[in-house]
Amino acid sequence: MADGGRRRPPRLGRRQGEWLAAAGFLAPALLAVVVLRLWPTLQAALVAFGVGLSKGPSLANFRFLFADPEFTGSLLTTALYSLLVNPIQIALALALAVLLNRALPGVGLWRTLVLLPVAVPQVVSAVIWGVAMRPDGPLNALFQACGFAQQPFLTSPRQALGSIIIIVSWIGVGYWMTFLIAGMKDIPTQYYEAAAIDGANAWQRFWKITLPLLRRPLTFVLVADTVSNFLVFAPVQVLTKGGPQGSTNLVMNEIFTRAFDQGDTAGAAAATTILVLVVVAVVTIQFRLMLRKDDFS
Amino acid sequence: MLAALYSMMPLIWAVASGLRPGAEIFRYLSPLTIWSLLPRHPTLANLHVLWSGPFARAMANSIFVAGTTVVVGLLLCSTAAFALAVLRFPGKNAVFAIMVVSFLIPFDSIAVPLSSLFRGFHLDNTYTGLVLPGLGNGLAVFLLRQFFLGIPGVLSEAAMVDGLGWWGIYTRIYLPLSRPALIGAGLILFVFQWQAYLWPLLIAPAPNVHVVAIAIANFAGEFQVDYGEMFAATSFAALVPMLIMLFFQRYFAASLATSGSKE
Repeated sequence: MADGGRRRPPRLGRRQGEWLAAAGFLAPALLAVVVLRLWPTLQAALVAFGVGLSKGPSLANFRFLFADPEFTGSLLTTALYSLLVNPIQIALALALAVLLNRALPGVGLWRTLVLLPVAVPQVVSAVIWGVAMRPDGPLNALFQACGFAQQPFLTSPRQALGSIIIIVSWIGVGYWMTFLIAGMKDIPTQYYEAAAIDGANAWQRFWKITLPLLRRPLTFVLVADTVSNFLVFAPVQVLTKGGPQGSTNLVMNEIFTRAFDQGDTAGAAAATTILVLVVVAVVTIQFRLMLRKDDFS
Repeated sequence: MLAALYSMMPLIWAVASGLRPGAEIFRYLSPLTIWSLLPRHPTLANLHVLWSGPFARAMANSIFVAGTTVVVGLLLCSTAAFALAVLRFPGKNAVFAIMVVSFLIPFDSIAVPLSSLFRGFHLDNTYTGLVLPGLGNGLAVFLLRQFFLGIPGVLSEAAMVDGLGWWGIYTRIYLPLSRPALIGAGLILFVFQWQAYLWPLLIAPAPNVHVVAIAIANFAGEFQVDYGEMFAATSFAALVPMLIMLFFQRYFAASLATSGSKE
């Protein structure tokens, strides 16, 4: 255990005030939890179920929502997007982590360069990539220089979602890689030494040692990445507004459009409720992964 | 190396384009030459225009909002983490679980209903409205608590004998010993605010409280886009947090490691 075990708290008979002190130390954070997370969640649920109107709670808003092809379409788009973007990001992050976990010269510098886009706002990368993907932009210039045909990217219903995936991955990969490199550092080097003596090649070492021992950080990254990808909004809102033909209408954009462009507060609340339920389920898994076994004692 | 290139190329191009006259940005792309990447006639004109316009205000707003969030957020997260790591009280594990899970509910998922609550309190178009949601952060609380757990309890026992109260133990022993964890948590809070787009869009639409992310999205939404100016703006929005990250990078990486990989 890395943190040296749980120490005994002082037993000096001055503990009367401890409960009160705990309340004082926790009060601001608890207030923030209630006001900033629980209250709006409850509020959305109440509106979604129609509580507070003359009638009792009902599922009318949800029925309405699921009868709306625009909403079901956005769920399908989000599902397709998630199925594509998560494996792509994690595979890339893993490949980079393996690459940058070696003792290459200047490896720290390369790792920093890959991590740095984390700090760049999604809006910024969306705007840069949006211009880069224009018909007369540098990406198409590069394509043409290599002898490929010009691509429509964001303006085509077939390519827009893929383009959004490229943009989002640019930020995500370095971030997730950092978790995986940290996990690799925890793998004892004796395993690799033993494998090398047995004549295992790099590919075998990766499959038989790295991957199995990386299961825990990999699961964490998978869960956290899934949640963050459910909530992608800025690139869609800035670049495509969900189009063309709804091909990039991810669920956050759908909620936003519903609430503000269509003024459908109840529908937006119902959609938010569904989103929060899904996210909470995934986050609960994440929370379990974050805790070590001895954390609750 | 290709990977690093892939991650830096768009930024290099953005910075280079920020130094070109707006009309030149698409001119040297075909055929590809070295002038596709480097500005042929470098100019600082875009910066002048930028800094005399509304973007300067947005930059100041962003720095103020992110800075306030880091300072107040660290206080809020570290006091909570201190109580959860050091103090003994009934129901502690339950409080810890509730707090971290609630804060792990991504803020964006409840931003839309929260914004209507905030408007009810007239917090729209205020700095308070922008700062508040960034203060409580589950990852920061979790990270600080882990770090505090590693500080030997004998230190606070000794301090108690010397007559120090809990607040004294927190400010004089725990905070000074936790610099790396505080920097890591501070970066998490900072990145959250600097990245924020949906929330400022919802709660601060007035130009005087625009943050950088909004200002840049507006650039892209204009009919007559001056790309030179836009790229200069994106360069600033990207370079400020990157420089901060570059400086504190190892703390950030270490803090991510704490939350992701411990057995």
